[in-house]
Amino acid sequence: MLNKKYLQLILLGLLLAVTPAGLMAQDLPPLTHKLTELKDPVAAPALHLPNLDDEMVDLQDLRGRVVLVNFWATWCPPCRREMASMEQLYQAAQPYGLEILAVNIGEDEDTVFSFLGTVEPSPTFPMLLDSDGGSMATWKVRGLPTTYIVDPEGRLAYRAVGGREFDHPEIQRQLRELSR
Amino acid sequence: MAVSSARIDSGLCFITPAFMLRRMQSFPAYIHRDGGSQRVLIWVLLVLLASMTNTAGAEQQLTTSAATGAKTWALSHAGVHFSLTQILPEQGDAFYVNRGFSLEQIAPFTSSCVFMTVLRNDAAPGIVHFVRSQWQVRVDGKSHQFKTVAEWLDYFRAQQVARPALIAFQWAQFPPEQEYEPGGDWNQGMLAVGLSAGQRFDITAHWDVDGAAESATLTEVECAE
Repeated sequence: MLNKKYLQLILLGLLLAVTPAGLMAQDLPPLTHKLTELKDPVAAPALHLPNLDDEMVDLQDLRGRVVLVNFWATWCPPCRREMASMEQLYQAAQPYGLEILAVNIGEDEDTVFSFLGTVEPSPTFPMLLDSDGGSMATWKVRGLPTTYIVDPEGRLAYRAVGGREFDHPEIQRQLRELSR
Repeated sequence: MAVSSARIDSGLCFITPAFMLRRMQSFPAYIHRDGGSQRVLIWVLLVLLASMTNTAGAEQQLTTSAATGAKTWALSHAGVHFSLTQILPEQGDAFYVNRGFSLEQIAPFTSSCVFMTVLRNDAAPGIVHFVRSQWQVRVDGKSHQFKTVAEWLDYFRAQQVARPALIAFQWAQFPPEQEYEPGGDWNQGMLAVGLSAGQRFDITAHWDVDGAAESATLTEVECAE
């Protein structure tokens, strides 16, 4: 049975929209809009994880397309803030076939699904579940969010550490050119 | 917004407030002798420029959130933004209880002076690299050691904390080591400095840019009450 203190904390958590410290939008650092080009592109690490329908998704199967791989969690404020811009980018990039794989770290399907219902526009790209966070080590991710862009040859072309406005014209231009 | 002082460990500031004060003291005589409105305008512009230079490049800013009451200490140095924002103990409790901790398990962390820490490479001349364990906290001028993320994880494992909660804890912390490319790479994460409510301290962030050492110090930072 939950006692009163726990109920208060759970309600406070809900009230604060599950962001650490309840930081309000005006308190948060700005998202940036630059992708760093990797000078010596290397092959992307393997990525083979279940989606929300429990179907396995393999990065290898997307060879020939530009793929944005984003590592995130619902409790990570900049991850939450950049999610809508990723959907905007996804819609804008349909003509050249950009794919987005959003890899959630350590959370369950219900938690992810509940969060997605709060995002406007709601993401339509695949959400992958990495329940033990094992892909973080494989991809050398040191903080959330981190994003990699994989080129059509399966190499790491760009990286972004920290939250981004993915629908920014500069990022859209970089990805469009990479697809050619 | 309140503004307090900052100690910057390297870098140059050519136009200091003292320099401008000395120049301003001779200003009235200068107008009387010359009377040129164009020169007056140049002086005004110089004063404004000096003010902008100091504000953007060196001074520590202290702001208080109207919404939460949390205080933020911030500065920019050598193209790098560094800030700490108070996380109130009950806010930290709420966050971690909703991630699977019990209140008893997380209380030792949330009551040990936790801040949301941001480091961002806005315009450094190269890649910013840091190792968090090299950062220094000083209380009343004396060095103060505090637990690393790895030590907290060991502590929580010993308390039988569930694996999903441990994953959330690990990745919600400010990274123990990281590299930021210029133009906006950044992280925000929690940092517990192991002090009591209301205690004040100075914290020096150390990083290097292509091997060249840099650092910046936030002074008189205060643990949330």
